[in-house]
Amino acid sequence: MTSPSSAPDNLPRRHARPWLGTLVEISAQGAEADLAIAAGFAAVAEVHALMSFHADDSDVARINRSLPGQTLTIAPLTTAVLAFSLHLQQRSQGCFNVAIADVLVRHGMLPGADIAEEALDCPLVLLPGDRVRRVGPGRIDLGGVAKGHAVDAAIDAMRAFAVESAMVNAGGDMRCFGVPQPVHVRHPQAPGLLVALGVLTDAALATSSGYHARREDVALAPEPLVDPVSRSCMGWGMSVSVIADTCMVADALTKVVRLNPALSLTLLDAYAARAIVIDEEGLRSAGASQGFRES
Amino acid sequence: MSRNAWVLLPLAAISTSVYATTYFTVEQAQEAIFPGARMTPMFVTLSEAQQSAIEKRSDVNVRHAEVKAWRLADGSLFIVDEVVGKHEFITYAIGLNADGSVRQVEVMDYRESYGYEIRNEHWRHQFVGKTAASPLKLTEDIKNVSGATLSCRHITDGVKRVLATYDIALKRA
Repeated sequence: MTSPSSAPDNLPRRHARPWLGTLVEISAQGAEADLAIAAGFAAVAEVHALMSFHADDSDVARINRSLPGQTLTIAPLTTAVLAFSLHLQQRSQGCFNVAIADVLVRHGMLPGADIAEEALDCPLVLLPGDRVRRVGPGRIDLGGVAKGHAVDAAIDAMRAFAVESAMVNAGGDMRCFGVPQPVHVRHPQAPGLLVALGVLTDAALATSSGYHARREDVALAPEPLVDPVSRSCMGWGMSVSVIADTCMVADALTKVVRLNPALSLTLLDAYAARAIVIDEEGLRSAGASQGFRES
Repeated sequence: MSRNAWVLLPLAAISTSVYATTYFTVEQAQEAIFPGARMTPMFVTLSEAQQSAIEKRSDVNVRHAEVKAWRLADGSLFIVDEVVGKHEFITYAIGLNADGSVRQVEVMDYRESYGYEIRNEHWRHQFVGKTAASPLKLTEDIKNVSGATLSCRHITDGVKRVLATYDIALKRA
């Protein structure tokens, strides 16, 4: 158990707060551990506020309310996420696409009214000075990448303090620096069963999965994974973990691995990332990351 | 590790039937949210009418009539609440400012349990797929779990319920 007294005793501190629709756990060890953890949570809260689909005044909500032809000013954090998303959309041949909110709304995964016309590509163009212009219809959802970015933002904030090591875990998307961390993933068919993946050092790990697939199930219930090409909600049917230098990349690549495993090999190589997939066949892996080794 | 192909690897699973973490005791959580502050307990038992009003206002069920609250001199409140999911049990602390707005939320205790089958070695073995050589070990006290299933909807609902409780039963007129 941690001791949150103000006298620095160099014991590791570990706290958890609800953000981003999940539990975010932050730990740190060092003279300024408490300050670092507070800064980490502040960074997470900031990303939460900017990218929430539900909050009226988030950048995502403002973008989704805008009409074609309108230009909005957004926060630098949002610019970074959109820039990466557009870039990965191209590189993944449309496998990764944030303009899929309408599919999720149609399936009741997100609140809102159905609209007649959906985007095929992301309907946004980034302009200099943290501005974005809407050039077509379609709502965005950054759920596939915002958690990872929040983790990165928290880690960046924590580095400014005198801490030897830190770990941020946002509902299973995690990143650490300093002390190497043993990491586990839930078995997709038995969530109480944990699989030891290996040890993470100065790197990020993100996992996407649906935990409804049990051996007895014949059909997979639709879960919030959207295939942007077919514009349908699909079941995960497996657990996909990606280790990369940043959590935003890891988070986003889990979707590409799931939707196009063959193409993902090129992207795993390009991002120096490693993927681990677990399903009823067992465990398979591709790629390599210098931040990860098997235990 | 091959960069250009998918490779099957052995699956070394460690199972845990109960994953539990304590982040704060009550005193530690009080100190974390209101450092150095003195507070006096004001535990409240909600009447049936208050419980109904809270349920109606927040759209969340009230499970306990007792509210564990502490009041500070400036009117701020420290409240300990708990929420129960299908597999999770969470105790958390919420600090409210004097105007009833949320100051901070801290999880105190997190416990999850997926059932007794986990301890059954034969049951565990069905999940190893085609490449595992040895039976799965059983270990507890694990941290750093990726792929959490938890949505914090329960905590969000809890906070909504606590805010309604503040409005209906705790705030000074």
